[in-house]
Amino acid sequence: MDIRTVTVIGANGTMGCNISGIFASFGEAKVYMVCRNIEDAKKAREKAKISVRAEAIGKNLIPRTYEDLEECLAESDLIFESVKEDIEIKKDVYNRIIKYIKPNTIIGTGTSGLSINELSECFDESLRPYFLGIHMYNPPYYMTLCEVIPSKYTDLKILKEVKEYLKSNLLRKVVEVKDEPAFMGNRIGFQFINEALQYAELYKDNGGIDYIDAILGPFTGRNMPPLMTSDFVGLDVHQAIVDNIYNNTMDYAHETFKMPDFALKLISEQKLGKKSGCGLYQTIINSDGTRTYKVYDISSNSYRSKENYIFPFAKQMINEFKIGNYKSAFKKLIENNSIEANICIQFMLKYVIYSISTAKSIGENIYSADDVMANGFNWVPPLAVVDAFGGVQNFIMIANKKLPKEFLSQIDITTLMQDVPQSKYDYRPFFKAK
Amino acid sequence: MENNIYVLGGAQTDFERNWSKEGKGVVALLKEVIDDGLKNIGITYEDIIKYNKDGKIACFIANFLGEYFINQSHVGALLTEVNPAFYGVPSARYEAACASGSVALDAAITKLRAGDYDIAFVIGWELMKTVDAKTCGDFLGRAALYEEEASGIEFPFPKLFGQLADETIKKYNLDEKRYLDNLARISVINYSNAKRNPYAQTRKWFMNEAQASSRGTSTNALIGNKLAISDCSQVTDGAVFVALASQKFVEENLKSKDYPIVKGWGHRVAPMKFSEKIKESSDSNYILKWTRQAVVDAYNRANMSVDDIDFFETHDCFTSSEYMAISAFGITEPGCEYEAIESNMISFYGKKPINPSGGLIGCGHPVGASGVRMFLDLYKQVTGQAEGYQLNKADNGMMLNIGGSATTNYVFIVGKK
Repeated sequence: MDIRTVTVIGANGTMGCNISGIFASFGEAKVYMVCRNIEDAKKAREKAKISVRAEAIGKNLIPRTYEDLEECLAESDLIFESVKEDIEIKKDVYNRIIKYIKPNTIIGTGTSGLSINELSECFDESLRPYFLGIHMYNPPYYMTLCEVIPSKYTDLKILKEVKEYLKSNLLRKVVEVKDEPAFMGNRIGFQFINEALQYAELYKDNGGIDYIDAILGPFTGRNMPPLMTSDFVGLDVHQAIVDNIYNNTMDYAHETFKMPDFALKLISEQKLGKKSGCGLYQTIINSDGTRTYKVYDISSNSYRSKENYIFPFAKQMINEFKIGNYKSAFKKLIENNSIEANICIQFMLKYVIYSISTAKSIGENIYSADDVMANGFNWVPPLAVVDAFGGVQNFIMIANKKLPKEFLSQIDITTLMQDVPQSKYDYRPFFKAK
Repeated sequence: MENNIYVLGGAQTDFERNWSKEGKGVVALLKEVIDDGLKNIGITYEDIIKYNKDGKIACFIANFLGEYFINQSHVGALLTEVNPAFYGVPSARYEAACASGSVALDAAITKLRAGDYDIAFVIGWELMKTVDAKTCGDFLGRAALYEEEASGIEFPFPKLFGQLADETIKKYNLDEKRYLDNLARISVINYSNAKRNPYAQTRKWFMNEAQASSRGTSTNALIGNKLAISDCSQVTDGAVFVALASQKFVEENLKSKDYPIVKGWGHRVAPMKFSEKIKESSDSNYILKWTRQAVVDAYNRANMSVDDIDFFETHDCFTSSEYMAISAFGITEPGCEYEAIESNMISFYGKKPINPSGGLIGCGHPVGASGVRMFLDLYKQVTGQAEGYQLNKADNGMMLNIGGSATTNYVFIVGKK
């Protein structure tokens, strides 16, 4: 597939800007960065260059406004729509561009969860075969996952060619996903994060938010604890993702997508997270430049100093990881019966089960969940967790022992796991000694 | 050679990893690379205990600056922390700055050839991400004559290899732009080769000729005279394991005899100070005559010439050192290195590919590990195990590993028996 010119619409948004950088660098494409006004487009151009650490791509990045759409689209081989995550706004943009799109132009939307089928129906029948979802993760220079979501009208040859282009030219880890709410990475990731948020409420008297994050810290196979991740992306974005899944899907984990009351309250007070100064956490920069880290205490409805929890099981695991004794670390987790160790292992087990179940229902193959979680979230891939726990049979044994009966009654783990292969990923780099 | 030295294989860690960020130390690093290496070559910790009963196994550890980066000396003894199987196994550290890997390999090969041991493990490692870039640059200055060439100088090594670029232009009366464009091309070839290598530090990074030529911009700052960031290899964390064995061991213990052998080697030490090197080489056609001599020695010992070598792994700590290596290998006459670059001869699909792995620029440069990494890459290519970066023809490969400003020069040829 020869993509020489790309138009990115909404190029001043974080994703639009960074993805413009990816097309212009790895793709060596000329990119029209279309924004509402030229000043925004010029600023986005500077950011895009820095996002791929290459000023030399600047000549490929051309700031433009909506007024120039006709000229941009006449020349474009691919249009990438990256406007606000609002179906009406997207439809409005599609209506504006439809008359300028030349035949055979690929039309990709960067939506992170709206229905691709519904969006594709904004186009007439001649354009629908060329429309599909191209969902990258932020920041795309470091997170190489690209979920590709065909609509029911997408031409299969076009789909194949776009996937190959994304893989070979843009060096993306491409995973084809069915048109389901939030697609795959966010569905699995936010199942975990939102259930952690629910557990923060459930265990609010044990400490709540920072307590749960300390149980599910980097030693459980991620760079950042789950609730800190939510604070980083913003509770509003978190809510949009889980509400979309909650309202439009039905699987055994349905109730884990329900936003807890305290989080809704924080959102209503505009306490959205890092971007609004406070949310689940709060960082205060003192007059002497030092920082004080605070956390929202659910019980008292106020911010308090973040606790430095030391759980014996976590300390033991971290000490084993430090010297590369992975098997001993997992043995210590499995053998520990403290409340915290049980919460930790249950989350890890449930993560694997939900991931495999999701990969089977909406993924390309059994490895899809590994690819999305490793390359989109930088979390330990689920199949690699099975390897870390000693393989499928051991995993089933541990799951039956550690998971509550109510959970086990909802899902047949033995059938789910029967054809699970070894992961293509090495679990060791993902488990941090911290 | 009477007693052939066989290369059994090995393993390397992913050079993209930052072990400090993972919170892990040298014991974890060594455990991983040795576990993986043993698995790859089919030797167990029980086997090590068995070989050690007869005193026939030894370990050779390459590391440059453990004292500075992680406050650890006596690193030859660290293997006892990896597994009790190493209790009693002779093991020591070998150091020659960035050529530490080669001096450890040389010691292992020599001991095997002498019949002192039957099997040798060579492990090169460095953990460098424990400090910031400037501190790291200062630490590395110890590979030069520190007091005169590095003390108080920010990033001394880019400056020394920047001087090599200046001297190359001067000696061969080159057009500066053409020379710098060729250096940019070297950088791009290495980055692009690294894209195929699943262990390379830069496999997800972007580089093209426009960017590599945009020297002096904020994303490609000048760092050593005419050299910019794109001309430099980047430090990283990593470890590499290689197992070598004597002919006797292979004949008596292994089913397959089809392992590559070490066919030749060269080791020459040039004057420590860069200015003295250039002065001393002024009567030679080669800009660094002892580097060339190490290559010639290896060809002579192997009874081979450049025509017999299918590919090269070189020490591209900077693009200017790879440029110099082209004539040192004999691919072109000295002063005509540009011919091999401009004709794509050294590219992945060229007639004499250099650094199919991505080299130091593409793979990353964990200093004490790099020499062993090149050697492992020779093994992988020759045995067809280089995964995505396998060359079509790779019967014989040559590596050049240098320490300091091409002070210690080491060359090995590994090939099919």
